[in-house]
Amino acid sequence: MERTFESWEKEVIRCIRCGACQNVCPVFKELQAESTVARGRVKLIRGVITKDLDITEGFINKMSLCLMCKACVVNCPSGVKVDKLVEAARKEIAEQKGLSALKKLIFRLVLKNRWVFNSGMKAGSLLQGLVFRKGPQGQGMLPRMSLGIDKRRLLAPLAPKSFRSLYPDVIKVPDAKLRVAFFTGCMINYIYTDTGKAVINVLKRNGVEVVIPALQNCCGTPVRINGDYEAAKQMAKANIDVLLKEKVDGIVVACGTCGLALKEEYAELLEDDPIYAEKAKQIGAMVKDFTELVVSLAGFEDKLGNLPIKVTYHDPCHLVRGLKVKAQPRQIIQCIPGVVFTEMKNSDTCCGSGGSFSLAHYELSTKINDHKVADIKQTGAEVLVTGCSACRMHIADGLNRQNVQVKVMHTAQLLEMAYEATDHSR
Amino acid sequence: MKPEIIQKLTEIVGQDYIYTTLEDLYCYTYDASFVKADIKNDLAGVAVYPGNTAEVAQILKLANLEKIPVVPRGAGSNVSGGTISIGDCIVLVLKRMNKILELDQKNLIAVVETGVITGQLQSEVERVGLFYPPDPASQAFSTMGGNVAECAGGPRGVKYGVTRDYVIGLEVVLPTGEVINTGGRTIKNVTGYDMTKLFTGSEGTLCVITKIIVKLIPLPEAKSTMMAVFSEIEQACETVSEIIAGGLVPCSLELLDNIYIKNIEEYAQVGLPTEAGAVLLIEVDGDAEILAKQIAKIEQICRRLGAVQIRIAKTKEEAEELWRARRSAFAAVSRVKPTIIGEDATVPRSSIPIAVRRIQEIAAKYNLIIAILGHAGDGNLHATILTDEMDQEEAARVEKAIDEIFVVTLELGGSLSGEHGIGRAKSKFITRQIGEVGLEVQHRIKLALDPNNILNPGVMFGA
Repeated sequence: MERTFESWEKEVIRCIRCGACQNVCPVFKELQAESTVARGRVKLIRGVITKDLDITEGFINKMSLCLMCKACVVNCPSGVKVDKLVEAARKEIAEQKGLSALKKLIFRLVLKNRWVFNSGMKAGSLLQGLVFRKGPQGQGMLPRMSLGIDKRRLLAPLAPKSFRSLYPDVIKVPDAKLRVAFFTGCMINYIYTDTGKAVINVLKRNGVEVVIPALQNCCGTPVRINGDYEAAKQMAKANIDVLLKEKVDGIVVACGTCGLALKEEYAELLEDDPIYAEKAKQIGAMVKDFTELVVSLAGFEDKLGNLPIKVTYHDPCHLVRGLKVKAQPRQIIQCIPGVVFTEMKNSDTCCGSGGSFSLAHYELSTKINDHKVADIKQTGAEVLVTGCSACRMHIADGLNRQNVQVKVMHTAQLLEMAYEATDHSR
Repeated sequence: MKPEIIQKLTEIVGQDYIYTTLEDLYCYTYDASFVKADIKNDLAGVAVYPGNTAEVAQILKLANLEKIPVVPRGAGSNVSGGTISIGDCIVLVLKRMNKILELDQKNLIAVVETGVITGQLQSEVERVGLFYPPDPASQAFSTMGGNVAECAGGPRGVKYGVTRDYVIGLEVVLPTGEVINTGGRTIKNVTGYDMTKLFTGSEGTLCVITKIIVKLIPLPEAKSTMMAVFSEIEQACETVSEIIAGGLVPCSLELLDNIYIKNIEEYAQVGLPTEAGAVLLIEVDGDAEILAKQIAKIEQICRRLGAVQIRIAKTKEEAEELWRARRSAFAAVSRVKPTIIGEDATVPRSSIPIAVRRIQEIAAKYNLIIAILGHAGDGNLHATILTDEMDQEEAARVEKAIDEIFVVTLELGGSLSGEHGIGRAKSKFITRQIGEVGLEVQHRIKLALDPNNILNPGVMFGA
């Protein structure tokens, strides 16, 4: 039985409206209106459930003003799952009002169907010059025309060749001590292939054989959090089938959002499915973030070369509050000789990206990002390391807007650089 | 709300700081209290966020002229229904006025705008070795203006008192739109009536607070924390009385009953014996040299009165661990039932044992779960009713039980509210404590300042 929107009333009434979420909600910090903080959203949802309110444009807008960063969830004294409530509201909106035509096209046709996505992205990488112009100093690209995306938005260009087309399905190593499947996620596959390459190189060096299942899809999170559960379920099932086929010791991800989908959210999404409920749990138990896997590998810290750089780290929301990965990336960064690590203020506050949030609410997402940029600047770091491609793109955009010369990279890339530094010194 | 009023308000605060949509206004129909607003009758006409005192004054002038009710609001974290909208009113949110204006180390005072977050002021003053003690549970997000309007307290009240004891001056806007300053920057000040104390705790009924001058004290050098476990709650209550009678003044003296203990242990596994009747969490502060001596004396009292287990934190981390039990209290009981009502009745400290017993009897009589957590050191008991607001039959029993708790409290010479305020939640009980004449006097003060009754009508005096 599919959970009804009304059944969420049980969760909604657990909010005692204490207001503690005001302290942590990044959206509220900028907008200050009571309707833009978690307890306001919860109250609005309750209003729709009890029929005080209808699903109006106003309600839809308020529900879109959530980054899904989970800061309120971990801070809530009553443990109200605000993220699940907002998602349930978006699902209700999608069911009652339908998705916008653009979202429908993207979710139902493109993200769900790997071949459409692939050919679209391939065409996109050739044609993107028509739609986008180069960003300042040749970095990134800016939209030339209105696409429903703010024209000032610096986007990373699509890679000329997707990550998965660059590698064979299995990357063998002699005497492999472990065999893992790499769930790449879309951004690594189509944009940040350098992160994917670093993941492979680091694991290879540590004697881990990596399988990259060719038939993997988008994890489905962008679709699910926008309320399209039908498409999300199909994508989850497809990924589960693909991943369960592999004979591996674990599944590695380099993106907190994909990781959380695989580890927990598939099981929630499919809990009533007679066949897939169990399979989803099976998959979930196998998922590890790249950094979790690396620190579990004996001797990973040997043979690291000297990197005399100042580094700080940003905690992606879904990595730190979703997969609860906080110590591992820091452990990796700090064991690299020469690296001076400085913790930034509010390292686990959302960077303002929120996936599609930054496209729909660009102005607001840049304001949220400004605090992140200021905190990064204050550390004096030359490199910002993070564990999520969406954060990477959004923070790079912010640094670019404010002309701050800090490089942004994934933890895997820093580690790859450190290994390569030994090679050079020999 | 008439469009021309909205227009005038927009001219005062600017387009970005005014809210009129249904969805926005719906979110001012609540605060952290249990008072329910009704969307048909109680929805506000407009919410405005002024940026300075002059704008507040213009808004109040307009409201007074047009006789429009105004509900002042900070973080909306009060628990007595003092900031919920009341029909076609102006909700006046003061959060934009959020600057710490002065931190005067020579005179040991701070001057802040009304929307400054209390916790933020505290960390700023502590950075220079000073201390602003009032610590309501909401300190991380509640505003100074709200704390002054409600006269907020907190665990540290037992040693350091409450908000009232620190406010020495105010800038306020009267309901008629005039701006006045009360008190000042000096500790001694007897010029005229003490309007500062009158406005502190006035719950937004007499004026809108715009600036606050608070006195600060030196930050205590060190703290020491201990926990004592008792098999019977009476023993813990007696211990509290003995500690106070022994001339020892801890900076926190918190009591948790068996319902809390069981749920905390289940939820947070902090090593509490689940069969224990009560736990006292005790913290002393001051010069590092005297703390061990104080703790030893308190330990002696606890043992004499039958403590079965005593844990004294040796490190900061251990102290943190002990506090974890107290801090997880709320989350722990909120798992039991969906609705949690925190009562605030306060009794003279020596009456704590009897008050606790009477509350337990009331719980049994109405077949309710009432857990007790208290700032026992100052007699401020928080009887916590665990219920389900969707169960109407139970809700009726809850109402009766609360009524009886008030009767008991007053019988014991206590107060309807220690720190939460009367607001809209307890206005119907107010004469039981202050009498008809007492209320009439307060009403006359209200009308002298607010002849058109535009400021927070319904609060304290009822509808």
